[in-house]
Amino acid sequence: MQKINRNVVLALLSLTSLVFLLFQLCYYKFYLSQKNGAAFSKVRGSQSGQDSTRWHVVRKFLGLISSHNIPVYLIDPLILGLVDKDIEQIRSSPDGPSPECKYFCAPRDFTTFALLDKTWKHEVGLFRTAEKMGFQWLKIINKDPRLDGMDDLSGMEIPLHYIFKLASHAIHLVVFYERNGNFLWHGPLRLKQHMDRKFVPFRKLHFGRYPGAYEKTELLLVSIDDLKVQIPKNPSSFLEEMSHSRFLECRYREARAFFQLYPDDASLDAVEFRKKAKSLLHLSALTLNNLGVKFWLSSGTCLGWYRQCNIIAHSKDVDLGIFIRDYKADIIPAFQKAGLPLKHKFGKVEDSLELSFQGEGDVKLDIFFFYEEDDHIWNGGTQAKSGKKFKYLFPKFTLCWTEFVELKVHVPCETLQYVEANYGPEWKVPVKMWDWKSSPSNVQDNGVWPIDEWDNVIQIY
Amino acid sequence: MDEWKPNPAVKPHKKRSWYLAWKYKLMNQRALRKLCQTGAVLFLLVTVIVNIKLILDTRRAAYEEEEESAQDYDDEMLNVEVPRHPVNNKKVLDVEVYSSRSKVYVAVDGTTVLEDEAREQGRGIHVIVLNQATGHVMAKRVFDTYSPHEDEAMVLFLNMVARGRILIFTIKDEGSFHLKETAKNVLKSLGSQVAPFLSWRDMWTFVGKKGGEVYGEKHAKSPALSTWGDPVLLKTEVHLTSVEDAECHWPDTELNRRRKRFCSKVEGYGSVCSCKDPTPIEFNPDPLKDNKVFDVPVAVIAGNRPNYLYRMLRSLLSAQGVNPQMITVFIDGYYEEPMDVVELFGLSGIQHTPISIKNARVSQHYKASLTATFNLFPDAKFAVVLEEDLDISVDFFSFLSQSIHLLEEDESLYCISAWNDQGYEHTAEDPSLLYRVETMPGLGWVLRKSLYKDELEPKWPTPEKLWDWDMWMRMPEQRKGRECIIPDISRSYHFGIVGLNMNGYFHEAYFKKHKFNTVPNVQLKNVESLRKDNYETEIHRLLGEAEVLDHSKNPCEDSFVPDTEGRVYVMFIKMEQEADFTTWTQLAKCLHIWDLDVRGNHKGLWRLFRKKNHFLVVGVPASPYSSKKPSSVTPIYMEPPAKEEGAVAVPAAAEQT
Repeated sequence: MQKINRNVVLALLSLTSLVFLLFQLCYYKFYLSQKNGAAFSKVRGSQSGQDSTRWHVVRKFLGLISSHNIPVYLIDPLILGLVDKDIEQIRSSPDGPSPECKYFCAPRDFTTFALLDKTWKHEVGLFRTAEKMGFQWLKIINKDPRLDGMDDLSGMEIPLHYIFKLASHAIHLVVFYERNGNFLWHGPLRLKQHMDRKFVPFRKLHFGRYPGAYEKTELLLVSIDDLKVQIPKNPSSFLEEMSHSRFLECRYREARAFFQLYPDDASLDAVEFRKKAKSLLHLSALTLNNLGVKFWLSSGTCLGWYRQCNIIAHSKDVDLGIFIRDYKADIIPAFQKAGLPLKHKFGKVEDSLELSFQGEGDVKLDIFFFYEEDDHIWNGGTQAKSGKKFKYLFPKFTLCWTEFVELKVHVPCETLQYVEANYGPEWKVPVKMWDWKSSPSNVQDNGVWPIDEWDNVIQIY
Repeated sequence: MDEWKPNPAVKPHKKRSWYLAWKYKLMNQRALRKLCQTGAVLFLLVTVIVNIKLILDTRRAAYEEEEESAQDYDDEMLNVEVPRHPVNNKKVLDVEVYSSRSKVYVAVDGTTVLEDEAREQGRGIHVIVLNQATGHVMAKRVFDTYSPHEDEAMVLFLNMVARGRILIFTIKDEGSFHLKETAKNVLKSLGSQVAPFLSWRDMWTFVGKKGGEVYGEKHAKSPALSTWGDPVLLKTEVHLTSVEDAECHWPDTELNRRRKRFCSKVEGYGSVCSCKDPTPIEFNPDPLKDNKVFDVPVAVIAGNRPNYLYRMLRSLLSAQGVNPQMITVFIDGYYEEPMDVVELFGLSGIQHTPISIKNARVSQHYKASLTATFNLFPDAKFAVVLEEDLDISVDFFSFLSQSIHLLEEDESLYCISAWNDQGYEHTAEDPSLLYRVETMPGLGWVLRKSLYKDELEPKWPTPEKLWDWDMWMRMPEQRKGRECIIPDISRSYHFGIVGLNMNGYFHEAYFKKHKFNTVPNVQLKNVESLRKDNYETEIHRLLGEAEVLDHSKNPCEDSFVPDTEGRVYVMFIKMEQEADFTTWTQLAKCLHIWDLDVRGNHKGLWRLFRKKNHFLVVGVPASPYSSKKPSSVTPIYMEPPAKEEGAVAVPAAAEQT
């Protein structure tokens, strides 16, 4: 009897656990799916197509913005990725009805659109209409970086991001601004304290972790999933750009503090030098961009940007860095064609390459080529008279965009480490006497060029 | 239980079928029971583990999510919103008003809203307007009613104040000498018992609601002509009304929301806040066909003269072809009221922390504004620069649209300006006529970005140099021989009088009689002739057809120019070298045009109108056009007055515009 009882009890317990376990599993699945914003996924079948929540939200949003004549364009990387695969077909049939919902029906939390600030008038009416249509919206504003570099100007804060939420789907609208240097900029997404952190899963946004810089892009009106949207004319190049679009703002506040300590040289010579250096930098950027060679501000020019957001008036040249893997034989002829004769060439492509071009009026352009090793990056130097080689070591770095003297250029993202490697911890103090062989804190002797190679590795014009 | 473990992998008798094994197990009851029990216990164990894991997972997920949304996206700067002043639920305001010879003050609920004990300043009647619902100060004015005409200004102001507002009056020093009957009647109609009898050096305070009750009045009579009345201190209570009562009930539109915000904050802008028939704040002027300046940014340089700014923006927004999106108002200082005006019109405004003092402050403000303009509109090749004390002509943008291509193409041009220094009522005639001049007039002008970025910005005067930006821009080092294009009839009108260096007399003499174009859509004549070389051809053509005036007559006399219309006349004056303006200055003086420094010249030639005839003045022999002088004519020489007044006047003039 006892034994039977025990069996029955055990069986009953097992049964309840089984039921409970099943329940838990179901709940867990539901929870997970909701977290992914796909709570509605069961309702829609990809075959039935256009009844998905996301598609409806996007359609409503497009209706909203077109009723206010606001030209937005699609920059959602996931959709653009899909679109890019079928780009030919989409281009050729701009109006054809699509047989299935291919792009806007995949369950996602967000669809991302871009808006060019100057193309709309900040009407408040938009948000009123949005609310009437059932959207909840969030506006992220911040300081205007275009005024940040200026002493003591306080403009109105500008909108950087908008999020329109309807049901389980949200539209992320990124506002792009035109900046000096002929490029587009979008701001970072930073929540202020009183903001609703749970409004949407911000972590999953594709834009906003960092500010970004983009080329101006041509748009193309296409019809995908029976929705008419504008997309970048060349989605793949947009996506490529997006992968390394991170933008660094110059440290204007620190630069102001620097000039408080060390007042700027306002002499005519300084003004003249800056003007020449600026136009040399513009010409170099144009030449290298035309060749498709990636470059960044190096040495003194980089220090000038980082420390004082300007060209250092007492520097004598403009310094650029290029990874040796990006080296092209066309570089020298291209610069010569641009009116910058080669001044000297040290080293060779395999080792310590360095080029100097003569700019207008004594301003020199130095291009250093950087060699990547496993744990560091280095560039070489050569002393012409002795054939001595030097090596300058840098910790590994990646490249970011910035705005400098009305130009969109690269700088090392890890600028502080870069500058400190080059100039030591005292980089904040201006030094007028600078010896490139001994002053840098990252310089190492690197032997001597063999005499028989001198003709090749030390060329002075 | 432990010793027995059914192991399916170990099958000692391979040949035996699975069924048989099952059968054997069935028979073995004890083993079956054991099996069931073990299974159940194991199962329970698994359930417990799964449960615990689930709980942990959900917890972590929830926690992560919280973290997620926070990390990376937090504003580094803790922008703690300062809570606004708690809504004042109190229905009563304590008001204290003090009037005396040397000091006045007004305190509302213990907060001093007016205090003036400066010597030799602030004489007259001080007026403060409070919002009847919130108690906020909406306007502060002082009318020096000891001096003439100030009482008229006061009446004008009081009439503009909306009904229901609370008005506070107090006299400092003297406020009755030129307080005329009209003004006294207005004060009486506000409920003042004393106002009609206010007399010499009386002290007086009054608090009342416009069109309503009186909250208090105190008065101290001056016992004798040589002494002042005793100081008076009025303490009273004012009952606040509800917000609804204090506001107008305009239809709920975007525009009216802006209007409401504006009108609940400030007073003294007249019909813009009228409940019944408010004046529009959106103007929608006709667009221009083929507008070449639609995308040119407009920088409005402003200080703390909100009433001027209001007038200026109204005229600017009414000009045909205006693009409000391109307008930015730069306010020198953190003043609220100019910003309110900017917001009323839905424009964008930027405030600038004042740097340096006096003229250098203005210079720095200009520099910051221009740099900011080109930062905000990086595509722009030009910027239009305006000041807050200008009226803008209805065809201002049309004028620029027709001429801007010259600035783009002709390297010898410095600017296009809407202002003709010599364009007075009696000396300007032709709205379609343009000139080239060597001086930079300012007062509404277009700046080329390359000029600013490459030349001016890098060497702009630093804050410690107390230079005027416009005088600096006129210096040969900057101008480098380039010229500006100006219209014969100005497209801007300088109405400001209370400027940095401006006094009433000066304005009356030099600016009031300036001609201002009011004709829309003027088609400019022969714009191509303004190019460098074309202009020389044009001048030679003009001089060729010009009739030489009778040089024996006095050029100051009206009869110097015959009573004709539409003719071209030329006169020759003495001008020894390029910088010899002795005779010109005297001529300018007697013609009542700008004579404080030399303006409007082009290679020793001045062009203006007299009696509706085009009137050319050539400086001989310095001007290259001297060759046109018939040998029989002796250039006129006019002696400066004995004391070298001109020389004294020039530095003064330098500060004026």
